[in-house]
Amino acid sequence: MTPLRPRSNALWRGAIGALIGTAGLAARASAQASLSLQGFGFPAGQMSTRTLGAGGSLAEIDPLTPVNPASVALLLTRMIYFQAEPEFRTVHSANGTDNTTTPRYPNVFGAVPVAGGLVLSLGSSSLLDRTGTTTFASPQVLSGTDTVLMTTKLAIQGAMNDVQFAAGWSPATWFRFGLGLHAITGHNLVTLTQTFDDTVAFALSQQQRILSFSGTAASVGVQFLAKDVTFAASARQGGTLTMSAGDTTLTHSRVPNRFGASVTYTGIANSFISVRTAHDNWSVLGSLGNPGLQGVDGWDTSIGADIAGPKLGSRPLFLRAGFRDRTLPFTANASTVTEKSGSIGLGTLFANGRVLSDLALIRASRSADVNASENAWTISIGLSIRP
Amino acid sequence: MTGEFFIKQKRAVLLGMVASTLAIAACSDNLNAGKSCPLLCPEQAITLQDTIIDAVFADTTVLGIPSIGNEVFLMLSSHGDTLDSRAIIRYDTIPQSFTGGSSTDSTITAVDSAELVMPIAAADTLRRPTAPVTIEAYDVDTAATDTVASILTTLFRPDRFLGSKTFAPESITDTLRIPISTDTVLDRILSGKKLRVGLRLVARPGYDIRVGSSAGGQSVALRIKASKDSAATPVVVTPISTTPTDQLFLSGPLSDFSILAKGATPGNPILLSVGGPPPRRAFLRFNIPARIIDSTTIVRASLLLTQSPNRRVDAKDSIKVFPVAVLSTPAVTDVTSLLQFVGNAGEFNLDSLSIAPGDSGVKSFEIVGLTRLWKNQAATVAQRALALLSGTEGQRPAQIDFFSSRAPAALRPRLRITFVPAFNYGLP
Repeated sequence: MTPLRPRSNALWRGAIGALIGTAGLAARASAQASLSLQGFGFPAGQMSTRTLGAGGSLAEIDPLTPVNPASVALLLTRMIYFQAEPEFRTVHSANGTDNTTTPRYPNVFGAVPVAGGLVLSLGSSSLLDRTGTTTFASPQVLSGTDTVLMTTKLAIQGAMNDVQFAAGWSPATWFRFGLGLHAITGHNLVTLTQTFDDTVAFALSQQQRILSFSGTAASVGVQFLAKDVTFAASARQGGTLTMSAGDTTLTHSRVPNRFGASVTYTGIANSFISVRTAHDNWSVLGSLGNPGLQGVDGWDTSIGADIAGPKLGSRPLFLRAGFRDRTLPFTANASTVTEKSGSIGLGTLFANGRVLSDLALIRASRSADVNASENAWTISIGLSIRP
Repeated sequence: MTGEFFIKQKRAVLLGMVASTLAIAACSDNLNAGKSCPLLCPEQAITLQDTIIDAVFADTTVLGIPSIGNEVFLMLSSHGDTLDSRAIIRYDTIPQSFTGGSSTDSTITAVDSAELVMPIAAADTLRRPTAPVTIEAYDVDTAATDTVASILTTLFRPDRFLGSKTFAPESITDTLRIPISTDTVLDRILSGKKLRVGLRLVARPGYDIRVGSSAGGQSVALRIKASKDSAATPVVVTPISTTPTDQLFLSGPLSDFSILAKGATPGNPILLSVGGPPPRRAFLRFNIPARIIDSTTIVRASLLLTQSPNRRVDAKDSIKVFPVAVLSTPAVTDVTSLLQFVGNAGEFNLDSLSIAPGDSGVKSFEIVGLTRLWKNQAATVAQRALALLSGTEGQRPAQIDFFSSRAPAALRPRLRITFVPAFNYGLP
């Protein structure tokens, strides 16, 4: 048998180079073809619908938002919470416009008061959602005149999730304290499919793998309540984060640290006007991917209000609005991606106050120093039930 | 504000909630994007790799497949001294009674007419001769070895002539009828002896035609009218062979078969051949490096065979050549046996090529489906081998020749493999 004899002469290489050049480096499989889904994905979760309606500004004081474990102490009865959040995204680039719809269920949560102002909770929220599909065609030069058009489809389903066990305690009317333990779990189901315009000679290629995440973190939070002002702060310290495929460990990193603080005016009955800022060191996730992956430490700042609106009979109606400015975790084409969003929301009670329903509408605009832009509408619906 | 205002507001909010919930519930995902590639699609360049390897490490041609009597059609050929093939049809049992006009069974005492009703391959009715052709029938019953061509061909002589018919080109339709000697037929009926008919084509210029066979499910029938009464039911006899006795698996196929009077070509070790008289198949065994077949995803596998022109007969008439999988396990080592345990044409997405015998150059058989099978099964389970066969083997004289692995290096079989290399996909 004659040994392997690849066709790799200089002429062939030159031809490939020329074609790739004219094709604009099309022969690449992307992470995702959008600004928000770079790297390990979009930080969609970890805010309740109520918090999102107020632009994210209530994250440190909202008990349904798994950010500050001290806020869990606000829950005086047993409660379960579920959130649905489809995103309708539009990405504009020189090659055209992509419109996508991504259903998300970023937050599920349950809490039980124990005794003496101590409340325990268990919940899961999306830390980074990577769900999306990218399809593109690229000509492949196999030898001098032997070419084929290959269409690559990279479909990724799944997210890196944060499962949090939290305990909140109110030792005094002016002070709340909380601790959280986090397990970072979840997976990305990656399906890579290649099809060819010549279906006689070429057969479809499909490969599938599951990237699994496992890591730990701990968080702490406090809330100080004055007459008309609440100050809240929280921090998360990340432990080791591992990504594996099957029984093979691929990479290690750290769960990103985070700290945040907010000041909230509570001088109007049943109303909250708040400003918040938080910092995530997403950059540690750069080492979790391929060498070129760049994570970006970023601030997440928001201002918003949750105002008691007109009553519906005996039911209160809450009206919310806010604005948020944040840096997304991963660069796009080596440029930092930022997001500005405005939101409105409302909430009310049903079933004698046992069901709290929240609705938020978010308009986000994402940009980076690249020739592409992204806009998204997100509808968030949260449902809290006191069994 | 009035109570009515609040009730209206309450309804509006409820309506809004319900509408939003329904809208979200009705959301179906539409995740597909890609127009912003390559700008927003970093990492993981995917480039197909292409290589040509001498993966065929053993190959050969085996003559005599399909075996005698297993032809789907019988080949009647007349190409002068180049090729002369004939058909033998055995009517070893002929009924001795018939149903008369009054629906009563009567013993056959006379034969008004006897004819051979020959179904013709549908494609051949469109491939007509340029001049009239004649089909002659002979009595080829013999006590000598009854399947040997050299013995049987001597029986095609005037004293055994049974009948003939000449057909104008336009009269080559889906069924041809040849009258044969009523005296001979009556003699065999009355004596209870066998009637074995040999068919010979006489054509100038050369021509060949395919006649139906028992193996193909449409055999040549002997149609006997035992009475001049038009209401009497003709006796229709289908081929049956009673020899060799007590060996049904052999005697069954021998109810009709083809023989070669002239033009048998021997095998040539330099060539891999399919089709031809006698019919033959080619066998190729592969050795693909594990680093390709096990560790990559093969998207194209082309078996590249260099054709050697064969202009003996029907040089310009294309026939289909099929690559088919060898289905037996490596426990079977006899190549003749291996070539009979093969998959169906088109199985495993193996595609055929239409090739004229007189052509030359490199022919590419796409066998990626088979290499995928080999990847998923250990070499100890699935033979990493394939067979090449003609779609008209045993029926048409066309023979396609390719250079084998014993030919000069530039002409040997090669395998072109295009594959997606193994890479760490999915990581951003």
